[in-house]
Amino acid sequence: MSVTAKVVAHVADLAELAVEPNDLPSLTEQMNRIVGFVEQLAELGEPGKATSYVAGPQATPLRPDEVRPAGLARPPSAIAPEFVDGFFVVPRLGGMEEP
Amino acid sequence: MSAREVAREVGARLAEADRRGLNATLAWSQAALDAEAARVDAMPAGGALREMPVALKDNMVTTEQPTTCGSRILEGYVSPFNATAVERLRAAGALVACKANLDEFAMGSSTEHSAFGRVRHPLDPERVPGGSSGGSAALVAAGVVPAALGSETGGSVRQPASFCGVVGVKPSYGRVSRYGLVAFGSSLDCISVFGRTVAEAARVLAVISGPDPRDATTIDRPALEPEPAPQSLDGVTVGLPREYFPPDLHPGVKAACDLAIARMRELGARLVEVSLPHSKYAVPTYYIIAPAEAAANLARYDGARYGARKTVDGDVRALYRATRGRGFGPEVRRRILVGTYVLSAGYSEAYYGRAQAARSRIAEDFSGAFASGVDLLFTPTAPTPAFKAGEKTGDPVAMYLADIFVCPANLAGLPALSLPLARSEGLPVGGQLIAPPFEEGRMLSVAAALERHLDPSAEARP
Repeated sequence: MSVTAKVVAHVADLAELAVEPNDLPSLTEQMNRIVGFVEQLAELGEPGKATSYVAGPQATPLRPDEVRPAGLARPPSAIAPEFVDGFFVVPRLGGMEEP
Repeated sequence: MSAREVAREVGARLAEADRRGLNATLAWSQAALDAEAARVDAMPAGGALREMPVALKDNMVTTEQPTTCGSRILEGYVSPFNATAVERLRAAGALVACKANLDEFAMGSSTEHSAFGRVRHPLDPERVPGGSSGGSAALVAAGVVPAALGSETGGSVRQPASFCGVVGVKPSYGRVSRYGLVAFGSSLDCISVFGRTVAEAARVLAVISGPDPRDATTIDRPALEPEPAPQSLDGVTVGLPREYFPPDLHPGVKAACDLAIARMRELGARLVEVSLPHSKYAVPTYYIIAPAEAAANLARYDGARYGARKTVDGDVRALYRATRGRGFGPEVRRRILVGTYVLSAGYSEAYYGRAQAARSRIAEDFSGAFASGVDLLFTPTAPTPAFKAGEKTGDPVAMYLADIFVCPANLAGLPALSLPLARSEGLPVGGQLIAPPFEEGRMLSVAAALERHLDPSAEARP
C-alpha cells in the first residue's frame, strides 16, 4: 500500500497541520518508509475481533461527583495567547466542511 | 550539609555542564535552587529524599519554571499546577534542580529532536545520549544530580540509561501517577527514574509511586518499599529470551551481557532460555499505537488556549494549521501524520486493529514466560552502544529500531530496568531486567545484587 503525496496532504488536512508544498515530497517518502515498515504486522494474519490490550486498572474507578477546587497557581488569562472577559479569543469560525 | 549548601553545589555543577555544552538543561536558576533549599531547610527533620537534588524531564509540569516539552509550540508556557510526582518529591525533601532537555514531546531515541538543540553524550560530544529522556540521563551520568525523572512511552529512560551508563527504571503501568506528565501515548506513558545506583533509583521510585485520585489509571497498591540487596540469587530463575540475542548482536553488547549472565550464575541464579516470538513485532506495533494516541493527544495544541500562537489572516482553522505547522518539529509532524493515517477511515482495521492484536500477543508471550516459572527476564537494553549524532536522523525507521529491546515491556505494561554492565570501546553498555506486573521490588533487589558484582567502567572484551 503506497502513500501518495495527495494522501499525505489529505491526512495533514485532517490533522489540522499546515505542510509547505516543498516539504510534501520528503514527507511522502518518509510516510511510505514508516507505513511500509509497520505493514509487516500483516504476517500475523487478520486481527479478527481482537480486544485491545491495555495494562492498568481493569475497571474505571469512580469518585464522588463533587466540585473540588483545582488549586491553580495562575488563571487561564495568564496562560492563553488571548483572553478577554472570561473567553479565549480566536478568529471567526469559518466553514468547517470541505468545499 | 544544609540544603542551601547542596543547592550551591548543584548550581555550580549545572553551570559547569552548561559551560561544557552538554545542552542537557532547558531551565534552571540559582535563585530557584536557593528557594528550593530554603523550603527544605524549613521542613521538619526527616524526608526519604531529604536534600537530594533531582532533575525533571521537561514534560512534567511545574508552576515555577516553563514546561516546553522541547517544542516551540509550548515556548513560554508555565503550568498553573504541579505534577503529582513533583509534589511527592518535594514532600520527601528533594530539591527540584532543573528542567531537562528531551526529544520534542518525548518522541525520539537520541535527543536530537529537541527544538532547543541536541543533547551531547557526557563521554563523547559527537555521540547522542539516547532518548527521549537524554537530558535527564546526561545530567545523572555527568554527576550533576544523583537522580532524575524521565518518562517512557517506548523505552525513553532505559535506552538513554544504557547509552549513558546509569540506572534507568520503568515501573509497571499504573504504579506512578501521570497527573502533570504531558500526554504522548496514554496507554503507554510512564514516569520513570534515573539514578547513579539501583538503590538511589529505587528510593526515588518508592517516593513517587502509589495511587493518585487525580490519575484514574493508577492502581491501588501500597507504595513500593525499597528492599536490601540479597547476598545471593539462590532460588531466582532468570529467563534469557533467545529473540533478544540475535546472531548479529553488537559484539561489545553481547560480551557485556555474557559477563552479567556469568555473574548471575555465580550468584546462584538459575538461567533458562525462553522464547518471546512476538517481540519482533513490538517496534511496528508501537509505531502504530503510539502515533495514533499521539495524534489524538497533541490535538490540544492549537494556539487557542495556551502555548505559542501563530497569528494569521483567516478563520480559526487557519490559526490551528499555521500554529501547528509552525510549532511542531519534523519528528512530531511525522508521527501526527502517521497516527492520523492509521486511524483514518478505511485504514484503521488494517493498521490499528492489527497493532492491537499484535500487542495482545506480545503481552501473552511475557505472561507465558512468567507462568512457566521464570521470575525475571534478562536482555540487552539497546542493540548498540551510543551512536553518533546524525547517524540515524535521515531514516526514521533506523532510529525506531534503537528501541527494539525496550519497547516490548511498554506494550505489555511491565516493569523493567537498565543496569550499567560494562563498556565497549569506552562506551557504556546496559543490560535489561524485565519483571511481571508490580514485581518491581524483586526486580530492583536482584539488580542491586548484580550491581555489586559488576564493574561498569571496565571494558567487556568480546
